[in-house]
Amino acid sequence: MNDLTIPLTMQVNGTDHSIDVEPRRHLADVLREDLALTGTHLGCEHGVCGACTVLIDGEPARACLMLAVQAEGSEIVTIEGLADADGTMHPVQAAMHQAMSFQCAFCTPGFLMSTIALLRDNPSPTTEEIREELSGNLCRCTGYQSIVDGVETAVELMGSDR
Amino acid sequence: MTATRQTSGLGFVGQRVMRVEDERLLIGDGHFVADGDPTAVLHAAFLRSPFAHADVVSIDVSAARALDGVVRVFTAAELNARTNLFPPFLMTNGLYAPLFGCLSERRVRHVGDPVALVVATSRAIAEDALELIDVDYEELDAVGSIKAALLGNAPKVWERAKGNVLGDFTDEFGDVAAAFDAADHTIEATLTCPRQTNQPMETRGIVVTVDPDDGHLDVRSTTQAPHFLKWALAALLIDKPTLRSVGDFVRNKERRSAFGAAAKEFVAANRHRLTEQDPRGLLSQVRADRSTLPLMNRIGAGLLAAADYPTVRAGDIGGGFGSKGPVSREEIAIGAAASIMGQSIQWIEDRVENLLDGGQAREEQFRVRVAVDSDGTLRALDVDAIIDQGAYPGFPIPPSVTAKFWKVYMPGPYDFGAFRLRARTVATNKGKVVPYRGPWANETWMRERVIDIVAAELELDPGDVRAKNVLRPESMPPAMITGPTLDETMSAAKTLDHALAMIDRDELVQQKSTAEARGHRLGVGIACYHEAAPGPANFWSSIEPGSDLLLYEDGRAELAADGTIRMYTSQSPHGQSHQTTYKQVAADEFGVSMDDVEIVWGNTDRTQFTLLGTGGSRGGPLGAGVMRVTARNVRDKVAEVAADMLEANVSDIEIVAGNIHVAGVPAKGMTYRDVAAKLAADDGITSGPVLTDQVRYEGVGNGGWSVATHVAWVDIDLETGEVTIPRYVVVEDCGPIINPGVVDGQVRGGVAQGIGAVFYEKHHYDEHATLMTTTYMDYLIPTAMEIPEIEVVHLETLTDGENDARGVGEGGMIGAPAALTNAVSDALGVQVTEQHLPPYRLLELAGIIGPD
Repeated sequence: MNDLTIPLTMQVNGTDHSIDVEPRRHLADVLREDLALTGTHLGCEHGVCGACTVLIDGEPARACLMLAVQAEGSEIVTIEGLADADGTMHPVQAAMHQAMSFQCAFCTPGFLMSTIALLRDNPSPTTEEIREELSGNLCRCTGYQSIVDGVETAVELMGSDR
Repeated sequence: MTATRQTSGLGFVGQRVMRVEDERLLIGDGHFVADGDPTAVLHAAFLRSPFAHADVVSIDVSAARALDGVVRVFTAAELNARTNLFPPFLMTNGLYAPLFGCLSERRVRHVGDPVALVVATSRAIAEDALELIDVDYEELDAVGSIKAALLGNAPKVWERAKGNVLGDFTDEFGDVAAAFDAADHTIEATLTCPRQTNQPMETRGIVVTVDPDDGHLDVRSTTQAPHFLKWALAALLIDKPTLRSVGDFVRNKERRSAFGAAAKEFVAANRHRLTEQDPRGLLSQVRADRSTLPLMNRIGAGLLAAADYPTVRAGDIGGGFGSKGPVSREEIAIGAAASIMGQSIQWIEDRVENLLDGGQAREEQFRVRVAVDSDGTLRALDVDAIIDQGAYPGFPIPPSVTAKFWKVYMPGPYDFGAFRLRARTVATNKGKVVPYRGPWANETWMRERVIDIVAAELELDPGDVRAKNVLRPESMPPAMITGPTLDETMSAAKTLDHALAMIDRDELVQQKSTAEARGHRLGVGIACYHEAAPGPANFWSSIEPGSDLLLYEDGRAELAADGTIRMYTSQSPHGQSHQTTYKQVAADEFGVSMDDVEIVWGNTDRTQFTLLGTGGSRGGPLGAGVMRVTARNVRDKVAEVAADMLEANVSDIEIVAGNIHVAGVPAKGMTYRDVAAKLAADDGITSGPVLTDQVRYEGVGNGGWSVATHVAWVDIDLETGEVTIPRYVVVEDCGPIINPGVVDGQVRGGVAQGIGAVFYEKHHYDEHATLMTTTYMDYLIPTAMEIPEIEVVHLETLTDGENDARGVGEGGMIGAPAALTNAVSDALGVQVTEQHLPPYRLLELAGIIGPD
């Protein structure tokens, strides 16, 4: 069963990749193991915790619930693709830093990607909307308040950018 | 009055300094255990029992071995033959500690019990191979609950135990019988808490790398206690007979003299603790299982003779909440397999495994009697408690230890004149019980729930009953009735008074009637507690004489030849922001910026031995305390050298923002790099430390209590049973705060887990002890929709003691279940007696639907 691989072409964080993957492997494993993008985390591997959330053609998706071969031709953004090349944090990262949003930070990649998708679609969400939109991501450390604060800080930072 | 000397001119301590950890973690540059190169290691998967209780009749691994990509398959018989059984720890007279191996050979005792290990070139192939292993089980009746465990004809989980009760202890303080006779009323209740599980977002994992030349094991692990894992791997992987180890040790002069010196130092440092040890624990264990002594001898002799111990390193860890403190059977199995094969192996637990046996907690019940007078004066507390420990005890802390904490904590910050606790620990066919954030927390839940029950029976206000009975600074006895010294400067009473003042009773009446008009019920609940964080000097001797052996915290500060300041901690942080807070503390002492300080943690080759690592709310009081003491000592040595160089008095030396100068003359200053260069030149070295200070720290500040009162408002929709929490307040006092952002996060995170426990999370085993909650679709972890904003009020008593920050990691979860279940009782006008209250249960309690 090792011998059977399928060619996969996708763009991740702006870089094109052409690799051969076993069809049974999920996208998160391929990102982490084949592309060494270990910033995307696996918390439950059954689609509930959201730690593996990445953006696929702009939409947040669970990389653990998607076969890698389904990403053929897609543009993918992971946590590693958010900061500028010079290391300057994305405003959402900077805001989460300011708000002291996370503790162990294992859930962080998922919250960042979900937040970026949320603020793109709704640049000034209410607190209730933030909580609802982030309810697909589990955090066990913080009680979420600091993460909601981080999103609200991001709204301010990104608003002042415009 | 301030507890800190802030010499940096910047004063980091006390500030909401942003986390340095985030600079890496927010950009995806973490180093978690599963983040290594997967092609550099082999991958492991465990075959686990589908039955709660069964005999293993036969196991056939031939088809698995034949699978392409499988490198080796270990049966339990093979691996156990090369490892030692887990020895008993914290033995107590009358407690039976079952001995068990890393895999189960003849009998499985819970669903998920590991019986075989596959090592393959990928995790997927290893899992494929598991399906090819043929195990013939003969199923046995299983023990699925405390009730079933206690039945006369119950199947025995452990054959050598007398029954399923592994320990049964009673402690009495004061004259309980007389107090009940004298009191106006006796009020009784039975309270139950179902099983919970810690569930950090990162599962457990271990990567064992084997040095091809000398076989040295280098271990990456998600451990909260790297040094204990190192010790356990060294101990359990010894496969030399005792006599050969003794011979090797005797012949090795170097080992002998090193051991002699270490033993002498250890005895000198711990004389009173050693003489306090109770030998009856070992005697009773040996009586129950004669193989205990040869096992301990073999391990002891083997450790003496061992030429090489593993190195354990912990990098970034994705939470633990207690579950990553114990050493697991899987870790020993992987260490053994790697050692036997001479090849590096990685095991990353999956979520289903973590739910099965990654650590479970708090399945306990309490039969309580309270002696109380008509005016609400609490006279005595009499509790009969039972702990469901599951099958295998956690290692090194068996669940029965919870009872020892209860026996000290249970009266709480109240003036009970007498107290008795009977606590039994029973074995069932379930996953292992580990410490979970405030492992003793149900003493607070039970007591605070019972106080409300008493108030209801006597038609008194629960806040008034607490206020009447809480130990107040002005009349505080010198010690709890159960032993530990109290501290009038930081009392739970202060938090209680503050919290009660935050409840607007008129507004509450209004809120209740508004809720009722909407078909809802609203209620408010209070919980008040104190926790030893780390506790007064006699806290541990109250738990068990001599139990503070090895509980000190070592730390080291160092100035390197190149001017780098390094702080070495034995803590193993997994989300608590130690790097930030320790840099704050050290930078203040050294008078430098936080960037000038490097924190070294998690590597057993570089840090000092500790039994516990991170746990028990020790990171602030002890971990940061030893950072402060050692940093100051090195700073003072630097000041002496600088005084010489500047031809000044050392008392005139100031260090501000890294500038070491004579007071008033900052322009003629020097840097740590200058001082380091001078010392390095004097010593003729170019690298390594030029100044070092190492301290064994047992500081407990002024009593070491951390105190809080929680108040919860809950709103229950009588149509759906849905609960909202319109307001939640924590009034806490953990002494001087190092970083309020970190403290807020610890408090809120703990409360969130308490909310989960009460309304969402129940680890459910059916009557056959089969786990029903094996995914996050079944075990419900609350989301941002369920956890409300949590107001945190810091009273922050600034004592004049140094390093007087108190632990705050566990308190949130200690207080929340009590405040919430009290609020539900108030809302529904019934006395809740179970901790877990999902919507259907709330509707039953409200009389909307009938019981099952």
